[in-house]
Amino acid sequence: MKPVLLTALAALLCCATTLPAATAAGSVRVEVNDPKGAPVADAVASLMPLAAAPELTPPAEPVQISQQDEEFSPYVTAIVVGTRVDFPNRDKVQHHVYSLSKPKRFDIPLYKGESPESVLFDRPGVVTIGCNLHDWMSAHIVVLGTPYFAKSGSDGRASLATVPAGRYRLEVWHPRVAAPVTRELDIAASGTGTQVVSVTLRPDRRIRRAPESGAGGYK
Amino acid sequence: MIPRLHSFGAKLLLLFVLVVAAAQFATWFIVARANHAQARDLIERDLQAAATAFARVVEDRNALLAAGAATVARDPVFISLIAGEQDAATIASMLRSFQLRMAADVALAVGLDGRLLASTHPAAPADEIVRQLVERADQDPSPNPTANGYGYIDGVLYSLVVAPARGPDILAWLVLGFRIDPPFAQRLKEQTSGIDLTFVDDRHHVLATTLAEPAARAVAAASPAAPDRVRELPIGDETALVLTRLLDGGATRHASLALQYSLDEKLRPARATERTLLVVASGSLLVAMLLSRGFARRLSRPIEQLAAHTRVIAAGDYETPLTLRRSDELGRLAEAFRTMTTGLAERDRVRDLLDKNVSPEVATQLLREGAALGGEEREVTILFADLRGFTTLSENLAPRELLTLLNRYLERMSAEIERHGGVIDKFIGDAIMALFGAPVTQSDAASRAIAAALAMEGALAGLNRELGAEGRPPLAIGIGINTARVVAGNIGSHRRLNYSVIGDGVNVAARLQSLTRHPEHATNIIASAATLAAAGAPAGIAPRPLGRVTVKGRAEPVEIFAISPLSGVEV
Repeated sequence: MKPVLLTALAALLCCATTLPAATAAGSVRVEVNDPKGAPVADAVASLMPLAAAPELTPPAEPVQISQQDEEFSPYVTAIVVGTRVDFPNRDKVQHHVYSLSKPKRFDIPLYKGESPESVLFDRPGVVTIGCNLHDWMSAHIVVLGTPYFAKSGSDGRASLATVPAGRYRLEVWHPRVAAPVTRELDIAASGTGTQVVSVTLRPDRRIRRAPESGAGGYK
Repeated sequence: MIPRLHSFGAKLLLLFVLVVAAAQFATWFIVARANHAQARDLIERDLQAAATAFARVVEDRNALLAAGAATVARDPVFISLIAGEQDAATIASMLRSFQLRMAADVALAVGLDGRLLASTHPAAPADEIVRQLVERADQDPSPNPTANGYGYIDGVLYSLVVAPARGPDILAWLVLGFRIDPPFAQRLKEQTSGIDLTFVDDRHHVLATTLAEPAARAVAAASPAAPDRVRELPIGDETALVLTRLLDGGATRHASLALQYSLDEKLRPARATERTLLVVASGSLLVAMLLSRGFARRLSRPIEQLAAHTRVIAAGDYETPLTLRRSDELGRLAEAFRTMTTGLAERDRVRDLLDKNVSPEVATQLLREGAALGGEEREVTILFADLRGFTTLSENLAPRELLTLLNRYLERMSAEIERHGGVIDKFIGDAIMALFGAPVTQSDAASRAIAAALAMEGALAGLNRELGAEGRPPLAIGIGINTARVVAGNIGSHRRLNYSVIGDGVNVAARLQSLTRHPEHATNIIASAATLAAAGAPAGIAPRPLGRVTVKGRAEPVEIFAISPLSGVEV
């Protein structure tokens, strides 16, 4: 009973705005683990219909990726093509957000407060953003061509609900995978299923923020 | 075990022990000193090398940081921040990126005027340090001006380097620094063969150290103001050699690096050797003791044997043989001892013979002074005694009986003479010549002679009583006594010597003896006036003057006296 309830709740939260008016819909729970079986968070699982390109409805308001305490928040954001993203700076120091990724190159020079303009992500793909001032700041925006996606939580689970019946390609991406893990699957109307996906993670090469001076030292 | 010191063995033992101990101790002392000097030398060299290594490490690291600082300072965003409104918080946050990139411990941005713009450290360093560093960099004419030095931030010592932030002119300065902290000290120690390092501030506080805390505090407390010499410093129970180098922090506050190594630790292997040496020394001392004891015994035992034998000889035993057979000096000594014993035995035999042939006094003088053909003139009282009517007696007796009788008579007379201190000079047939006052001087020689003559008379009376009992006729005696200066000495040839006296006085004595035959004198004893004068007034005798007589061969007549005992006086 509980997983079903959670699934429904997650579906409401994540996909409420993108949910098409479908009649027969199933749901899939994806469990992302590393080869040792440990749950992997911040993985994005998406279902691309193989029959026809789905209709995308970007949200009316821009999605926000804020900068707080000299970090991007959230670290991983999944959006559909055509979504606009704001980069509000909630710090007292300036930031200089940029992306050199192919799906979207942009540069927001030194600023404080709200970002001067929202950025439109009009091509699918993974966009990695950074800050020119703070080496340790990075975040990822996964721009998808399908409205059926979810991000795994700390338990490694991503729930995709209200997915119309049909054949799909499941794609699981994570900042530390070399290539997304894909597999095809059928989703039956009102059907529920669990897909366990094992991902091989590369070393975490994120730059760690320097500890406050006075600690650490010469190593 | 402890021998008495007055024994030869103890002295030898003491000498051996002293010599060996002195040699061993001298060796030990020299070795210990050499070890000590060498250890000092090695440590000093290591300390100097470590000081150089430290300077090189800091230099290299500063060079790396300076190059890195020059590179990161070109970051366009940084430049634009500097060129813009110089938002301190943003610059500080970006400096943290630089600090990460360069693995530095602190990053500072400093304006051209030397004013601190931003820092990754919450506590600001003294403006003076930053200003001085920047000033020095500004004086560097190269296109990449740089400077470095030590500075305190919040009480912690840093090595700081400066690089320009250009756009394209120099807009500001970027300062990067690394902390002089315990891990840094530890790393340095690993590069410098175990030398301990202690960084000390100008207030004698420990900044960083590889030592335990009490030792580090001792080093910090002893840290001198102007050092460059290796000093000895007691730390705990040990002694360390310390070399201090000043870390120039500009005019404000300096710091110093004390490099040290324990002298005791360096000496530890040498000390082990010294201990072994001491054991060997003790061993050889013991061996020397045993050897000298054995040697001393070998030496002292025969000496004691000889000493014991000396006591045997002293007791007059020449027969017990000395059983000491050795080939060394002691053997020769024993041989000499044996020869001496034979000599002593020979001498005793000679003495014995002498006693029988000459009077004991003469024998003693002979043995003492040797039998020299010397002579001396001295006053002597000569006594001549003769048996009267001996010729008649000899016709009636068999020779053997005659000799027996004569010897009996001579024995009695001799005994009386000797009893009175006279010396039998010779027996001439039945006559006796005796001397008083020679060879041994006697002050009362004359009275002794008179007393002897009276005693002889008495003794003869005794003998006549015996002869009467045997049915033999009695004997009669005549005695002449004279005192005169005569020549006394050993008379004869080298082969045979007689101690005797010669001179006129001897003849006079003989003549006086023959005068007793004259019946008109009616006496057995006649003495000269010289004798009576020499005797003074002898008690118990009554000299009766007999007038003067002319003695043959003498021009002057001699006054003579008959000697007889006072009536009623027993002599």
